[in-house]
Amino acid sequence: MPLVKVPKPKFIDKVKRFFLSDLLKGLGLTLKYNIGALTDRDSVAGKGIYTEQYPKVRPEVAPRFHGAPRLNMDPETHETLCIACNLCALACPEDCIDVLAMDVEIVVAGKPRRKKVLDEFIFDTSRCMFCALCQEACPTSCLELTQDFELATYSRAGFVWNREMLEQGRETVKYLS
Amino acid sequence: MHLLILLFAPVNFIDELLLRFFSRDVVNYVVWPFIQIGLVVTITAGWVAYATYLERKISAFMQARLGPMRVGPWGLLQPIADGIKLLTKEDFIPEKADRWIFFFAPYIAVAAAFVVMVVIPFAPDWGVITDVNIGLLFVLAVSSVGVLALILAGWSSNSKYALLGGLRSSAQMVSYEVAMGLSLIGGLMFARTLSLSGVVYAQATDTIWFVLYQPVGFLIFLVSGIAENNRAPFDLPEAESELVAGFHTEYSGFRWSLFFMAEYAAMVVVSAVAVTMYLGGWYFPFVYGLTEARGYHNLYVIVSLFIFIAKLLGVLYLYFWLRWTLPRFRYDQLMDIGWKWLIPSALINIGLTAIAIVIVQGLDGWRGMNTIESMSNGLNLTATGKGLMIFFGLLGLVITGLLLSQINWRSRDFNLKSQRRNIRLVNVPQGKPAVASTASARE
Repeated sequence: MPLVKVPKPKFIDKVKRFFLSDLLKGLGLTLKYNIGALTDRDSVAGKGIYTEQYPKVRPEVAPRFHGAPRLNMDPETHETLCIACNLCALACPEDCIDVLAMDVEIVVAGKPRRKKVLDEFIFDTSRCMFCALCQEACPTSCLELTQDFELATYSRAGFVWNREMLEQGRETVKYLS
Repeated sequence: MHLLILLFAPVNFIDELLLRFFSRDVVNYVVWPFIQIGLVVTITAGWVAYATYLERKISAFMQARLGPMRVGPWGLLQPIADGIKLLTKEDFIPEKADRWIFFFAPYIAVAAAFVVMVVIPFAPDWGVITDVNIGLLFVLAVSSVGVLALILAGWSSNSKYALLGGLRSSAQMVSYEVAMGLSLIGGLMFARTLSLSGVVYAQATDTIWFVLYQPVGFLIFLVSGIAENNRAPFDLPEAESELVAGFHTEYSGFRWSLFFMAEYAAMVVVSAVAVTMYLGGWYFPFVYGLTEARGYHNLYVIVSLFIFIAKLLGVLYLYFWLRWTLPRFRYDQLMDIGWKWLIPSALINIGLTAIAIVIVQGLDGWRGMNTIESMSNGLNLTATGKGLMIFFGLLGLVITGLLLSQINWRSRDFNLKSQRRNIRLVNVPQGKPAVASTASARE
């Protein structure tokens, strides 16, 4: 009598064991996957193949994903929408935004006036935690966190984005097939 | 149809061309064999390269992955890239290794695997390189030399992992070679010849595959063939999780790739023997009537060749399929299967087949029954005889299974049982159930 209590096999279990039903079940499972992969090969996360061909085919991220920052422009005049109000820098919990403004002389209704405009915008992505509080603080919907997720660089300095990078977007390597 | 004949005309054309330079005997026994050997070696080497691709793809599909995709379309050039990588790698030899044996072990492995190809009938007529009348014995003898290479490699590496792999492979060879040889005897009783071409002709004239007569033999041969090739689930000599890489732990570069080639070539050999012995070889119904009987001889040979390759690929798919379905056996389970199941069932199969043949022969001419057609080219049976034989084959499957499970049910899990007995004998009175808690046992 063994120390561990083993239930006595029923007759049907013996028959199953005799005809190797577990082996056949396993073989059926692997065959099902193989056929599924052959008939359904382009699907991702479907029944067939789960692999993403990443550099070749970019995965679609969730709609609420926060990625690389961008400074939006006015689509007609191509001037920046930023009014240098500094609200984003104040909202940022990580203190990774620096807004540098300058005054320019303009003439409004025949009188000389001074206007505050954006000079330089520094965004440190190495410290950013992508909370998008800056995006919510922006009154002109200029600063936006896009869906681009390729933020890796070769140096620490590369993580600090200036105004040009924020407006134009950064160049990433494109893979051929 | 005429286009096809033109396509296969070059065989006769080359024959006539060769006859201008050499005599008939030289052409038949020297030049053509060389051409055939060259073709077979090139195709097999190419197959070995693409078998790795096939295996990676199939394993990927079975795991819902894609497999190699980058080198060439669908990763088709991946084997070539792998080959270049292996050839340009450093050929490293450990300082303490037995240098010469370490050098030559891979060559023995490759030679043993490739030499066997010479007797395998890929197709009728010029599809056979040489038809030896002891072909099957030759296959069994030479393919077991391949295991010697593994032992030598394991020994000469002077590494504990390699040595353990070599020892395991030798033990595995001893247990499974016997069952493999015994399982073939049942099929040979029907073929009445050891020549592999003769076995195929016996099946072709009988218009049946021997797997129907010999389901037990086929199963035993498949299992012991997989074990003989050290493939999963019997890949104990190169068990990655225990022995790093087993017998080829210390090998690198070209020599390692030779072992790899030997493994895949041996797979081809075992599947080819399985196809020839049990699945009818190059024989397929209607092919003869559609080609040879109408005078298209070369077409007949080439169609037969493709049929053989299709059957071969089917058996090889089974290898990959089993590899990704079953986990590796424990060592005592491996020995269990070999000695307690396969060898006895092979012996039972021989007995039952002999009895079945005697019964079928005895029924011939009894109350007007007609079971045997002729005995000239193997054992040719009539439709009644075939039906009886298939029935006896299935009956043999059941009888063997029942008999062996009756014999083995007491000795199953041998190690566990002895351990349990040792535990039980401590402070536990005989004949009473042991109690799991230690406190009550000490009282």
